Amino acid sequence: MSDIKYLPGKEPHANEHRMIFKNVDRQGWDASIETYLNDGGYEMLKKGLAMEPKAVIADVKASGLRGRGGAGFPTGIKWGFIPPKNTKPVYLICNADESEPGTFKDRYILHQDPHQLIEGMVISSFAVGAHTAYIYIREEFPEAAITLEKAIAEAREKGFLGQNIQGSGFDLEIYIHRGAAAYICGEETGLIESLEGKRPYPRIKPPYFPAAMGLYMAPTIVNNVESLCHVVHILRMGGAEYVKLGTPRNSGTRILCVSGDVKKPGYFEVQVGKVTFRELLYDMCGGPKDGREFKAVIPGGSSSKVLRCEETFKIGRGDDAKDLSFWDLPLDFDTLAAAGSMAGSGGVIVMDDSRRMSWVLNNITHFYAHESCGQCTPCREGSTWMAKVSDRIEGGTATPEDVKTLEEIAYQIDGKTVCAFGEASAWPVEAMVDKFREELVGETSEDNHFKSEERVEQEKFLSSVH
Amino acid sequence: MSAIAKISSFSSFIQPISLKVSAPIEVPRPRVIDRSLLSYVRPYAPVKVKVPLPASIVRGSVTYLFGAKPDGAKPETIEDDLDQVKQPGAKPSVLEQNVASPITPGTVNFPPFAISPELEQKADQRIAQYPVDQRRSAVLPLLHEVQHRFGFISPASIDWVSQKLDIAPIKVVEVVTFYPGFRQKAPGKLHFRVCRTLSCAMGGSYELMAKLCELTGIDRSSADPHTDPISVSPCGNYSVEYAECLASCGTAPVCLVNDDFHEDLSPDKAQDLIAKYNG
Repeated sequence: MSDIKYLPGKEPHANEHRMIFKNVDRQGWDASIETYLNDGGYEMLKKGLAMEPKAVIADVKASGLRGRGGAGFPTGIKWGFIPPKNTKPVYLICNADESEPGTFKDRYILHQDPHQLIEGMVISSFAVGAHTAYIYIREEFPEAAITLEKAIAEAREKGFLGQNIQGSGFDLEIYIHRGAAAYICGEETGLIESLEGKRPYPRIKPPYFPAAMGLYMAPTIVNNVESLCHVVHILRMGGAEYVKLGTPRNSGTRILCVSGDVKKPGYFEVQVGKVTFRELLYDMCGGPKDGREFKAVIPGGSSSKVLRCEETFKIGRGDDAKDLSFWDLPLDFDTLAAAGSMAGSGGVIVMDDSRRMSWVLNNITHFYAHESCGQCTPCREGSTWMAKVSDRIEGGTATPEDVKTLEEIAYQIDGKTVCAFGEASAWPVEAMVDKFREELVGETSEDNHFKSEERVEQEKFLSSVH
Repeated sequence: MSAIAKISSFSSFIQPISLKVSAPIEVPRPRVIDRSLLSYVRPYAPVKVKVPLPASIVRGSVTYLFGAKPDGAKPETIEDDLDQVKQPGAKPSVLEQNVASPITPGTVNFPPFAISPELEQKADQRIAQYPVDQRRSAVLPLLHEVQHRFGFISPASIDWVSQKLDIAPIKVVEVVTFYPGFRQKAPGKLHFRVCRTLSCAMGGSYELMAKLCELTGIDRSSADPHTDPISVSPCGNYSVEYAECLASCGTAPVCLVNDDFHEDLSPDKAQDLIAKYNG
C-alpha cells in the first residue's frame, strides 16, 4: 500500500491502519466507477457471489466485526437473527443517517468512496438474502445523495446491480431514501418508520426486532455505513485473518473522529484498542492548543458519558484488574464500557480548560431537547426540563438545588423510554453532573431562590422586628 | 437481594392459567335498514342543511365575517360561503398554524406550487422505488421534490402529495410538521444553515451566526428552534437557521448554504461567503 499517495497535508499518521479510508484524500482519486475498478474494486463482490450465503455470514461472524453505528453489536450475529422459515422479502438498509454529534466518518465514505459501500451492500444483501436495499441518507448530505445515485447508476450499467449480477443469478436493487434532518432516524426502528413514510417514532423491542419484524413487517437488517464497508475487507482478508487486527473481542479497524480543542482535529483509522488516549490526543492530534490543558473528553459521540482527563479507572475483573489512568485507556468497546462510558460511534470531542462545563452541558441538553421525537413522556418532557434547568445554571440564575434537580430528571429518563434516545439524552447529563458537580454548583447561588412578593414583604417585616 | 427474593417467591405463587381463545362471535347483521334509526348518524354524502347565516362566526380564535360574494350574490349558508373573510389581526387556529404557509419576504423568490408533467414523472419514479402496496413510503422523497422546486411545503403541495400517494392529507401534514428538514414558509434566496452543536459551537458557530445576521440585517429575536426556526431578512434575499450537527465536526464551524457545504468558517469569513454568491 506504500504506493498510495495522499493529498498534501492529509497524509495518514504512522499509527493509522487504513482500510475503509484507504481512498479518502487520495491523490488522483474520484468517486467514479472507473477509478474504483482500476484499484481492484468489485473483485470481492465476484468472490462473495461465488460463495454460499451461509459461508459469507460465517466469515463475518468469524471476523468478530462489531457494528460501528454506536451500540457495537456483532454484525454477523445480527444477520443470523432472520427467522429461518421466513417467507417474506428480506430488506437490507444502510444507515447513513450519521447524526451523532462528534461523528463525521460516513461523510467521507459517502462523498469520496461510494462504490466501496455499494460493493459491501451487494455482498451483505447476498448473505442475508435481500433483493431490495435502501440507503437511508441524511438530508444534510445533498451532495452525497447525488454522488450515490450516480454511483448506483454506474454500477448498474457495469452489471454490479440489477438482474442477475455478474451471471450469479442474484438480483438486487439499491435505492436512495433521503431523510429530513431528524436525529432519531439514526435509531434503527425509527429509521424504518421514517422509511415507511411516517413520523420516526421508534418501535418497542420486543417484539419489533427489525431482523424479524422490520420494514413493512418483513425481516430487515439495518447496518451502519462503516460496518457494511468492513464486509468487503473481511471477504478480502478472510474472517480468520481479519480477527487478528485489533484486540480480542474488538477486532478490525475503526475510524476515530476527533473534534474540539486539539491542534489537529480530524479522522484516524486505527486498529481497535491499539491506540490509547495519550497516543490519540498528543501524538496524532498534536496535543492541546497553545497554553491550554486538556480537561475532559467525550469518547464516543455526545451521548456517551464524559471522562475527566485526571481520572483513573479500574479495568478488568478479579486478578486481571488494574488501575489505568485516563491517558492509558485504549479506545475499544470493552475498555470504555468498563470505564463507565462507551465507544459509541467513535466521535471523540475534546474540551480544554477554557471551557465552562455548564456551557457544554447546556449545548448538549438543547440538542437533545430539540431532537427528542416526543413519543414517550419521560424523554419528551425530561429533555426539555433538562434544557431549561441547564439554561439557568449556564446563565448564573440557578440555585444549588437545581443541580440536584437536573440529576434527578436525568435518572428518571434513563431506562424508561421506548428507544435508546432516553439513555442518550440522560447519560451525558448524569456524567457531567457526577464528574463536575463542584464546578456546576459553583456557578449557582442561594440568592437565586424565587421569592414571591409576599415572601419578600414577610422577610422585610421579620428583619425589622428582630 | 430482597427484591429478587420477593419476585421469585411471587412467581412461584402464581398458578399457571390456561387462556382459552373462543371463536369470534358472529353478530347478525340487519338486512333491512330503517333509515329513521340512522338519523343521528352523519350521512356519507353531505346533505345541505339550511343554516341561517349569522353576521360572523367564531371558530377557535378566528372570527369569520360573512359578506357578499364577489359576484354580488349573498351566500345563504355557511357551507355555501367559500369566501370566508378573516378578520384582520385575528390569530390563526392550531390547524391553520400547522398547515398554512405564512408569507415572508422570501415568498417572492419561489414560484407558487403547480403540477407539471416533469414533477409528475419524477414523483412516479420515486414511488416506483417502493413496493406497490407501500406507496406511503414515498412521502419524504415527494416532499423533497416539492421543497426543492418551490422552496417550501405549501398546503396545495400537501394536497397533491396526499392524492398522489392515496393517503389522507393529515398523514402528510404529520410528516411535514415533524421533520426539521421540511419548512412551511419561504426562506431567502440564500438559506444559511449554521451548525450549532457542540464541536461547532466550540469552534465559534454562535459568533458566525451573529455575524451573518449582522451582515444580512436579519433579526433572530423571535426565532424558536421548535416552532419558528427560520428567520428571513427584510429584503428576502437571505435567511438563517440553526442546524443540529452537520457531521463535519473536525472542520468546525460549518454551514450549509442552500445545498452547498462550507467548512472552517470563522466569523470573519462570513463576508466572503455571502460575496461568493452575490458576485
